[in-house]
Amino acid sequence: MDSLQIGSYYFSSRLILGTGKFSNSTVMLDAVRASGAQLVTVALRRFNREQAEDDLFGPLSEIEGVTLMPNTSGASTAAEAVRAAHIARELSGSPFIKVEIHPNPQHLMPDPIETFEAARILVQDGFLVMPYIAADPVLAKRLEEIGCASVMPLGSAIGSGQGLATSEMLNIIIRESGIPVIVDAGLRSPSEAAHAMEMGCEAVLVNSAIAVAGDPPAMAEAFAEGVKAGRKAFRAGLMQRSGSAIATSPLTFLGS
Amino acid sequence: MKELPEWLTDNRGTAALAAMLAPAAPHSLEALAAESRAMTLRRFGRTMTLYAPLYLSNYCSSGCAYCGFASDRKTPRHRLEMDDIRRELSAMKQLGISDILLLTGERTATADFDYLRRSVETAAKEMQRVSVEAFPMSVAEYRALAEYGCTGITIYQETYNREHYEALHRWGPKKDFIARLETPARALEAGIKTVGLGVLLGLSNPLEDAFALYRHVRHLSRTYWRAGLSVSFPRIRPQTGGYQPPFPVDDRQLARMIFAFRIALPDTELVLSTRESAAFRDGMATLGITRMSIESRTTVGGYCESDDDGVGGNEDEKSEKGQFEICDDRSAREFCEALRKQSIEPVFKNWEPAYNGPSSLINSAV
Repeated sequence: MDSLQIGSYYFSSRLILGTGKFSNSTVMLDAVRASGAQLVTVALRRFNREQAEDDLFGPLSEIEGVTLMPNTSGASTAAEAVRAAHIARELSGSPFIKVEIHPNPQHLMPDPIETFEAARILVQDGFLVMPYIAADPVLAKRLEEIGCASVMPLGSAIGSGQGLATSEMLNIIIRESGIPVIVDAGLRSPSEAAHAMEMGCEAVLVNSAIAVAGDPPAMAEAFAEGVKAGRKAFRAGLMQRSGSAIATSPLTFLGS
Repeated sequence: MKELPEWLTDNRGTAALAAMLAPAAPHSLEALAAESRAMTLRRFGRTMTLYAPLYLSNYCSSGCAYCGFASDRKTPRHRLEMDDIRRELSAMKQLGISDILLLTGERTATADFDYLRRSVETAAKEMQRVSVEAFPMSVAEYRALAEYGCTGITIYQETYNREHYEALHRWGPKKDFIARLETPARALEAGIKTVGLGVLLGLSNPLEDAFALYRHVRHLSRTYWRAGLSVSFPRIRPQTGGYQPPFPVDDRQLARMIFAFRIALPDTELVLSTRESAAFRDGMATLGITRMSIESRTTVGGYCESDDDGVGGNEDEKSEKGQFEICDDRSAREFCEALRKQSIEPVFKNWEPAYNGPSSLINSAV
């Protein structure tokens, strides 16, 4: 069984869904079901204990077979993210935390320094830490060293639909990583998700491309298929591109 | 007379804005709307963040020609006490509101900094997110507000035309054009996370004001790169002073301005209040605006319909005039229904109090 392993948790689905940006929670839940996702992320700031209508946590916690990964979107410093992570764990009971620290609420680019510090503290506090980062191979290794459960580099800016603009850096991160690499942000189409999986990502996280599609559940299903196809292709072993050709038969006949 | 800051004439990016805004602009309104809609969906999704204003006090020390609360208006003056504020907040919470904007006039002995700080402290205990639209403050005062739970400041320049500004602000502390211009920077310096900018459309040439507003946003983004910035598009509404705007802005002009700002500032929150009609707000909900006010009352104590101590309660005060007349007077329920019909999710809570307080960074001089 080819499973995604994060910490001691196993998932057969390699598509992780973001839950913001949907037109309503019914559509969001339909998309989650259609995607077959077993791991979904939800922003603590969208947990609403008082006003049920826009609350995302309540409805998500009722879906069978789905594990919640709360995120700290909205935090701009390590201290804020750490506070948020503890509140999220208290409310959701989830061992996962997606550390998302945007020093600037407009560009939504992750702050590497604050993210590293928050991750360090949260690993010590016993979380399975999944940091959202720029596609920086050195930062990815530093986060692995301190005990993060995965790294989540961005394919391109959140909500940009620019796909795998960072693919050169992603290739290095994937090649060098000892923990699962999950491409998060920027994917626009199932073919891009398939591409990310062919590159050797362990999973992808998609939100905008599904949430703002004309038919979100159908798009969620399409992404699930793209992810499956890409993963299968990666495991099957892709043919080399021309220019990086290798001899089709080993040169053992030459003797040593 | 103090010099104008250099950024007010910084032309980076303004040519693209001009091409979209000018009356003879080559872009059709339809083409701009389509682009603005696509950018809004990509970046913000099918959601609308909602907030509601709470007028704390209508005491004022300034003489703004266009304002129903200017210090020469005969309107009755009130200030909500902390118990009143708690009652108002409780009424607002019944409506689902969790994100509020506290408003006062210019600083007076009755509604001074200490009063505002206590109001913020009271509100932050009840609400998820508290912002303030009040008088300009010092860095130390803004920092204190942030520590008590204020995350955002709204401070409109009203107009960036200095001559018109000085004529319209007839007396009081608001008369100082440059002091006003420097206020958003002080708030950001103090660690306030978001600042809302805007011009009051109708006061001066809207094109000139739009360029200056854009420059102000870009200047603050470059200087305070952590700043969350939002832009509002308030148009002058009828108010007790009877002021007639010399530069009225029609719906098509306003729509063009909103589209152009969305395209020029793709990540900036764009705000539209209940000053605008239901039809205009519903139309703009999918085309560029990402934050709207609901259930607005522009009188002091407007949320509690009946009240023992008389604030907002008796017959006289029911007919009391607010700062201006609101236009979209739908209930939160009706308004949300209209959003849902357009497949937009009304979001009441889009903040977490764990993120309150002035930013404190790792190993940083900030």
